[in-house]
Amino acid sequence: VSSRRLWLRMIHVCSRSRLCSLSVSFQACQSEKHFGQYYTLPSAHVRTVFPHGLPMRYKQQVKTFNEACMMVRPPALEVISSLKKTDNSKPAVRYLFYGLKGSGKTMTLCHTIHFCYTQGWLVLHVPDAHLWVKNCKELLPSSFNSSRYDQPLQATEWLRNFRITNEPFLSKIKTKQRYVWTKRESTEEGSTLGELVDQGITRVKTSSDVVGAVMKELRLQSGQPESDFRLAVAVDGVNALWGRSTIRKMNNTAVDPEELTLVYNLRKLMKNDWTGGAIITTLAQTGAVYTSKYSYLPKELLGEKGFDSMDPFIPVSVPNYSEKEFESCYLYYMDRHWLQYPHSRTEDGKKELIFLSNRNPSMLERICGFH
Amino acid sequence: MVCPSLFSIVTVGENMAAHTSRAFLSLGRINVPGLGLHKSVSRVTYSTGLSTDSSKATTGSPQKGGKKVLSKKYKREPGDPRTELMPVDQDWTAVYPVATPFIPDAIPLPVRMGCPVKGGAPPEKKGNLELIKIPNFLHLTPAAIKKHCEALKPFCTEWPSALDTDAKCDEHFPIKVETKSYVSAGPSIRNPAARIVHLSVKLSSLNLNDQARKKMLKLVGDRYCKDTDILTITADRCPLKQQNYDYAMYLLTVLYHESWKIEAWEAEKTVADMEEYSWEGSLSQENILDVLVRMKEAGEGEGEEVREQLLGRREVQEYKDSVTRLKNEGENESTMLQYKEAVKKVLKL
Repeated sequence: VSSRRLWLRMIHVCSRSRLCSLSVSFQACQSEKHFGQYYTLPSAHVRTVFPHGLPMRYKQQVKTFNEACMMVRPPALEVISSLKKTDNSKPAVRYLFYGLKGSGKTMTLCHTIHFCYTQGWLVLHVPDAHLWVKNCKELLPSSFNSSRYDQPLQATEWLRNFRITNEPFLSKIKTKQRYVWTKRESTEEGSTLGELVDQGITRVKTSSDVVGAVMKELRLQSGQPESDFRLAVAVDGVNALWGRSTIRKMNNTAVDPEELTLVYNLRKLMKNDWTGGAIITTLAQTGAVYTSKYSYLPKELLGEKGFDSMDPFIPVSVPNYSEKEFESCYLYYMDRHWLQYPHSRTEDGKKELIFLSNRNPSMLERICGFH
Repeated sequence: MVCPSLFSIVTVGENMAAHTSRAFLSLGRINVPGLGLHKSVSRVTYSTGLSTDSSKATTGSPQKGGKKVLSKKYKREPGDPRTELMPVDQDWTAVYPVATPFIPDAIPLPVRMGCPVKGGAPPEKKGNLELIKIPNFLHLTPAAIKKHCEALKPFCTEWPSALDTDAKCDEHFPIKVETKSYVSAGPSIRNPAARIVHLSVKLSSLNLNDQARKKMLKLVGDRYCKDTDILTITADRCPLKQQNYDYAMYLLTVLYHESWKIEAWEAEKTVADMEEYSWEGSLSQENILDVLVRMKEAGEGEGEEVREQLLGRREVQEYKDSVTRLKNEGENESTMLQYKEAVKKVLKL
């Protein structure tokens, strides 16, 4: 029994596809030499940076394997190397990840966000913009602007997660403007961002306007010489901002996304009229409403208006796994004993996996669960 | 009972230069008497005398039994099928001069048709109903077509020697009119399908400027094919062919003159009406100039001069090309890649 355990541990150690990392050696893991290899995110980071960002199936995988491992892939590294060279004085550059369904766009976005977090940037992460344009249980007319609508539930949830991610910054950043919520409540100029966020979480009715205020403050302050933080805006499913919504008003007409406060403020953030950071976005067809299942290219998902608003942006294609990446994923699943049947350890089994999944990452993950 | 057989021959219109005529022979049930083809296979073999092996045929000589004579009818043996006796260099047009059903003993081809037996081949041609049911074109071999052409030649005029290439034909006769006429033996010689007239013309041969061409395309809609640049007008609303031809020519004339006229309301053409995307004055141009100004690429200066200077830069021209290509051609990997490279160069990444 002991010899078997020794043998298993040897396999564990000798597995080529894994890189263990602490936050110090994280930077060392991000180069072309490490394409296809997995690096582990520390669990503290997973709890802080991704309270709401990771795909559902990946969260289940993290719970099963008891560790969060991500593959280093070329699209993520391309954007990360550009981010390393960003100039604080220039306007924010927009990056857009696009690709087939299940090819790894959200995971690439999370990889980039983790990088920004380790570099000390302030991460403003909207995990799925589609959630803001559909299935709204409560829709209130906005107190600030009567033609717009508030979504208190979504706004409070987002504020909570924002607070978890960016704890250290909340006490450092001060507001530059006075915000009046009601006759008796207001946030004075010079109060911390943390107080603003708390105001939104406790007073649910004003949470959408608080979100707008937070975005405005961060947008105005980043890139200024006296602020020492850099802002990374990460939006998954950015095509929801310029699409259609399924929310209906009381008289059963559809609500234009522009009439939603959250979407309106996020659109303002998407413009590159602020400096000192970057905007990293992903297209998503899953969860999108009124779009064809097979569309994945930027122009067809963003539409004319969306494309013109995002223009000029850098489109980064996220393809299916290459052969090397597939090998690495296969070895990782073998190493974690996820592939149970002995047939999957043979060459024929591997060819079957390639054929069934077409090297699509999400398909491969689902199929390996049955093998 | 004589079933009417249907033939249809395409005739040439007046303006069209005569190309080779196309003959379509459609089959109905054919029974053409008087041509020597009968339903059954004619057994032309004359068997010589009675067969010596007559023990099966007759039960003894008729003179033997006396009154009770069981004279079996003399049964002639079937001879070789005609295919065995056909010379290889025979005149096939004599065997199948007109459309006829499939006759297995007259066609020297080992053809099989039908659902194959398990582990075997499809059924052979002898007694094969499938081969008889389908239409065959054995009466239209190249040799037969040649004979048809020779027969029609006395009625044709000489092809003009100066029109030896397609390009010359297009140049001198840009309008092509296509009509079909039908010949049939029946109670009425008229066929209502003969009134249809197709008129096709290449738009490059018409004298249209840019605005006129765009208006013409909007007026005709689906009748224009972008790949071949041919406008096709089909007229079938009048009862007679000549009336439809006149109407088609009238339509062409009216289209041409209308597309040259400029109405007052055409000045209100919006961006959504444009057929092609033009970058000048678009949102994309505003955005990129705005970004470059904020990046302080041009240095300090007046508004107009800065814009001119920025527009003249090579990266900006490349960006403009890539955006135009993306919007006009649609998006695929190559256009996206070109756009990405252009944006990276412009933003200096």
